[in-house]
This record gives sequence, structure tokens and C-alpha cells, in this order.
Amino acid sequence: MSEDHHHPIPRTAVEERVDALEALLIDKGILDPAAIDAIVEYFEHDVGPMNGAKVVARAWTDADYKSRLLVNATAAIAELGFGGPEGEHMIVVENTPEVHNVVVCTLCSCYPWPVLGLPPNWYKSAPYRSRVVREPRVVLAEMGYVVPDNVEIRVWDSSAEIRYLVLPIRPDGSEHLDVSELAALVTRDSMIGVARL
Amino acid sequence: MSHTAAVADGLAEPLIPRSNGALVFDAPWQGRALAIAILLVERTDQQWDVFRRYLIQAIDDEPERPYWDSFVTALDSFAAELEPD
Repeated sequence: MSEDHHHPIPRTAVEERVDALEALLIDKGILDPAAIDAIVEYFEHDVGPMNGAKVVARAWTDADYKSRLLVNATAAIAELGFGGPEGEHMIVVENTPEVHNVVVCTLCSCYPWPVLGLPPNWYKSAPYRSRVVREPRVVLAEMGYVVPDNVEIRVWDSSAEIRYLVLPIRPDGSEHLDVSELAALVTRDSMIGVARL
Repeated sequence: MSHTAAVADGLAEPLIPRSNGALVFDAPWQGRALAIAILLVERTDQQWDVFRRYLIQAIDDEPERPYWDSFVTALDSFAAELEPD
């Protein structure tokens, strides 16, 4: 975050390891600095929850699209122009009054980049990864969402290839909103399944 | 609420942050580390899952280590495997 070149903060050991590896790979002609910049730019500007929100809003307003999304999420998401690394094998899981879905990657940090961008820090944390499988109701309550006892919670563990997106329940009272207004209501956390709308 | 807090108190693990901010990278080196990993995977015509195995191992080796430190450890191992000096 600090770009103050007049008063640089001390570089950490891990930062120096990245610098060294980057310099080595560029020096060997294996990596192109412009390509590194382009990828960082992609994550900072092109992907993020705003993409997933468009998918969700479309599904809420277009029953045919929703059907396609639930049958072949990768293809339906691609219809809106989203795809690429970590989004090649998408599955969308739909919340209903009876079932609430929540997503985790128990082993590392797998996450659907094209529709959600990069995962938040808590998603990658050991407590979330270990506990949400074991006691999802408790973890969700700690995060501010108390799931009613009569609602089943399903936890989806991202595997080697599969990436999940939760389709939240459309909020009551949103009937008069158009697609773009609906998309503005959809939060990242609701698409991971740790919050409701 | 109180019974939830009581259950949580019985667990040794810290509470999960509740921020809903759209954080991307905490520091620029994290973005560069991710970009290097993606480009190395692409360049060697492999799947991300190959790198993922290194990442899982690095996290498993030191579960309490900060995520991005584990990521860089995985990246070092992955790069060394690809380009032995």
C-alpha cells in the first residue's frame, strides 16, 4: 500500500524473496515484467464481486438464465463475459428457504476469481477453513448471520478444479428494482454464503 | 447470542474478522507473487492445480504462518522445481 519512495518502509524478508525471484525470472527471460503488471491490474480492476453480482441479478430476473446457470454455470457465466483461470469449472448452488449454502477451501485458498476476484483474508485463515466444515452454524453466527434452526446448512469444499458461487435469495421488497439496481444489492459475502441479503 | 458466545469461548481459535471490505492485496509484493505463480503455470503449460499442491503443502507445514508467506514459500519451491540451477 505504501508507495512513498521518499520514506520507504523497511522491506520484509518475504518481500525480498519475491523481489529476488522476480528479478531472476525476468533476467533469465522466463517472465516479462509487463505481463506481471497486467495480471496485477487484472485482479485490481477487472475481476471482483461486481461480476458475480451481475450473474446473481440476471438469475433473479431471468428464469431461463437461472436454469442454465444451475445446469452449467461455467457456460452461463461466460454468457456475461466472465471466465478464465479459476473459473473453468463453476458450480452455482442456490439458497432456498430450506437450504443455505456456504463455500470454503479447506486446504488452501481456492476461489472463483472471474466472478469474485481474490478471496478475503478470513477466507484463507486457518480458523475459517477448519471450523466452517465442523460447525458452520456457529461460524456463520460469529460472522453475523444466525441461520434459523430449521434451515439446513450445506458446506461446499472447493476441490482441485471445482469452484462454487452461492446464489442468494432475492431480498423481499426488491420486486421494483431493475437488473443493475439488484446487482448493487449483492454482496461478496452473500455469494460465499457467510451472509444473507 | 449468549449461547453462541459461550460455544465460541470454548474454542481455542481466534474469531474470524468480519470485514466485508473489497480488499485485493495488502501490499504490492503479494500481487506480484500471485502474478509470477500464474505466469509460471501458464508458461509451463500446466494447470493451476500443480501450483496448488505446493501451496497446500506450504500451508500444511506451518498452519500459523501468514497466508502470503506460505504462498511465497510455495512459489519458491515451484520455481525451483521448474528451473533448477
